[in-house]
Amino acid sequence: MENPRSVEELGPGDHACLTFTDPDERLDIVAAFVRSGLDLGHKVLCFTDSVPVDRLPGELEARSVAAQAAIRRGQLAVRGSERIWLAEGQPSARRMVDLLAGQLDLAAREGYPVLRMTADMCWANRPVAAIDQLLAFESEVGELFADGRLAAICQYDRDSFDAVTLAFAASAHTRAVAATVYHEDPIVRICRQHSPPGVRVAGELDFTRAEPLTHALAESLRLDHHIHVNLAQLRYIDAACVSIIIQTALGLPDDRRLMVTCHGLVQEMFSLVDAGEIASLRVQAAHGRA
Amino acid sequence: MVGPETHAHRDGPAAGPAGASLDQPFGPDDLYALRAAVAAHATHLGAPPDRVAHLVIVAGELVSNAVRHGGGRGRLRLSRVDGAVRCEVSDEGPGIPEPERAGTRTPSVLAVGGRGLFIVRRLAASLTIRNTGRGTTVTALVAVPEQ
Repeated sequence: MENPRSVEELGPGDHACLTFTDPDERLDIVAAFVRSGLDLGHKVLCFTDSVPVDRLPGELEARSVAAQAAIRRGQLAVRGSERIWLAEGQPSARRMVDLLAGQLDLAAREGYPVLRMTADMCWANRPVAAIDQLLAFESEVGELFADGRLAAICQYDRDSFDAVTLAFAASAHTRAVAATVYHEDPIVRICRQHSPPGVRVAGELDFTRAEPLTHALAESLRLDHHIHVNLAQLRYIDAACVSIIIQTALGLPDDRRLMVTCHGLVQEMFSLVDAGEIASLRVQAAHGRA
Repeated sequence: MVGPETHAHRDGPAAGPAGASLDQPFGPDDLYALRAAVAAHATHLGAPPDRVAHLVIVAGELVSNAVRHGGGRGRLRLSRVDGAVRCEVSDEGPGIPEPERAGTRTPSVLAVGGRGLFIVRRLAASLTIRNTGRGTTVTALVAVPEQ
């Protein structure tokens, strides 16, 4: 398979495999896929498992996807993967392919030109499940993509599946999707955030990683209107890196903003330099944290 | 009794009474480990979580200055004194100009640098900068009430 693509590059006819270890990164890519589908007038179907059905819409909303409104108008549907697969006791690849084919026809009858589907596959590791049926599904479902009316991202948690299963699953897809990572080492990870668009940094950040931070912010400055800097998973930042973020905000024209999401020590660092007084910068507490 | 000049225990904060301390040389590749050591020792010295965070910030900024402007290497000492944890960072760099004034003024929002010592002064109960001729020693006291 070719090199992984960014989620923005996926479109009708793509059957993409997302292997992930960071749950935030998975939800970011899923949110971007759902959001662009909704924007383009596609029908969107989310099969979820590790994130419960009743929680996924909230997770999408937190990532700038108007999920509740889309559910109400019938453009977005959220279902439990396990319930669908194990509805008749034993998982069956053929039944799932037929079910998806039915959804594709339904979407067409409802007037949607394309169906976007994303599915969390971690249910397949439950004792009752059968990996062979999941892998058969991944092979057989390929036929549904032929006429360019279906786009899909299948999500595989690298910590849940063994390497052989992952390799087989990956080979059954025509595309791999991955986050754009600007920098990664054991201390810090700097990657692109797709929804809302910007940069996500996790770990600890100091001046020794100023260069990849500057590069990531410069790319967001070029690509995005408002810049969202997600530091919710960042435990430490030094004054040099706070200054780089402030400089980026100060360089924005009047109609653009840089939004920082953070908590704890990182939030205190922004308070200590009176970041609140900068008009183009917003610092907000991370969702669900003090 | 573990005195202020002793080295850090290899496998974690040195066990001992309130005078226990960290004494650690550092270079540019040691910053992450040094912050972890400061957090562990500050906790051991009786600092509550918010003061542990302040000590990590203070130590991080002083060490950052030493690495970037003070010759690239230095030594950090952490110890308990009356009502505070003392963080001392020394290097062999050219010294800090106007040590009495460094970091005392609010940096302009347009300033690219210069926020480190300003932050340290906001968090520390006192800050002393000594240019010794062979380098610089910066000592910050972060208030930590006796337990």
